[in-house]
Amino acid sequence: MSQAAPNRKIAFDDLVACASCDWLHYRMTIEKGSRASCARCGHELYTRKPFSVDRTLAASLAGIVFLILSLCLPFLSLSRSGVSSSISVLDAVTALWASDMRWLGLLSLALIALLPTVRLVLLAYVMTRLRYRLGIIPSMFSAMRWAERLEPWAMAEIFMVGVVVSLVKISDLATLSVGPAFWALLGLIITTSLISIFFCKDSVWQLLTTRSA
Amino acid sequence: MATADNTLGLTAQQAGLARCRFCGALHRLPAANSCRLCGAHISSRKLSSLQRTWAFLIVGLMAYIPANIYPIMITKSFSGNSSDTIFTGILALAQSGSWFVAIVVFVASVCIPVAKFVIIAGLALSLHFQWAMSEHTRHYLHTITEFIGRWSMIDVFVVAVLAALIQLGAILTIEPGAGINAFALSVVFTMFSATSLDPRLIWDGTDSGK
Repeated sequence: MSQAAPNRKIAFDDLVACASCDWLHYRMTIEKGSRASCARCGHELYTRKPFSVDRTLAASLAGIVFLILSLCLPFLSLSRSGVSSSISVLDAVTALWASDMRWLGLLSLALIALLPTVRLVLLAYVMTRLRYRLGIIPSMFSAMRWAERLEPWAMAEIFMVGVVVSLVKISDLATLSVGPAFWALLGLIITTSLISIFFCKDSVWQLLTTRSA
Repeated sequence: MATADNTLGLTAQQAGLARCRFCGALHRLPAANSCRLCGAHISSRKLSSLQRTWAFLIVGLMAYIPANIYPIMITKSFSGNSSDTIFTGILALAQSGSWFVAIVVFVASVCIPVAKFVIIAGLALSLHFQWAMSEHTRHYLHTITEFIGRWSMIDVFVVAVLAALIQLGAILTIEPGAGINAFALSVVFTMFSATSLDPRLIWDGTDSGK
């Protein structure tokens, strides 16, 4: 079967294949805080980030709080000729729904609110169980898989750039002010980027697979 | 090449192994169907990667045409109605002196989608016809397409925010136009197209590691 297999006898778990180019490497013990990258294409193989579980848990819980705040509180308000209007993030979605853009409304709802929430909750769930050693159960594996699948589809930071562009577009039409949800969304973006700094995917999978074995 | 001693000098596929795309565990190929550790489906390469890439790319390209023809935003006020397409929206921003924002929107709505169409099609063609092109260049291009695609959604969110916010009755109302629907579809499908392209195909044609 393994016609081109190396001469040394090796266990599967000592090998790592690059996710980007499939090149096989021996797994080395690396120092805390460093990363191993593929010898052929340079893609990241694995990392060992310090206190990854604790920090990711903290950041995802903070992210959930920011997300709830940013959805509930007023986001932007404007006034012109004595008429004023104030919207929350969810109003941006319902506006699309109301003007017969149902599909687009649902898509925005998913990208701005649903998918980021689901991803943060899944991460927080896995990290809580790991952190407090509650035991490894199969749902944690699917949670990790979905957290990874959803990553490119959580677009809070892109929504934020969209908001800034809209503010510039209508700055000469009306007086605008930003509400508390604007700052909550900014907090969410900061915590999301903190998660990408703290979260050590390979270590978490190692924890999940070795502890359950 | 300090790392040369920790590689086996072959790919997992050449060793008869397949990597789980989520947890990274290796499996013997013909035997394994789902990952023994995390339960995910195991395949050495993404299934019919090029075919899916082309299918999603063509849909994305088709949706990009109405996205540019139809208005994305309709402004109704007492002085009359006006509608903006993607391009006239950018021109309006530039004329009002907001150069920086005009450039941001131009990059997000025009440069990024067009660059993505060209890069993905170029990569897929180069894989299909096995063009002589450095793996590192192609690897780099692939990383770019995965990273930039989502930023095209900016214009969709701009229209959503403006349509929600500018509801001042007869004074000023903004409604989303049909073009933005097509534009969002185009972005979503090109994102699917970029994720369908398996980067490992780029390296499969070469037999030596660098």
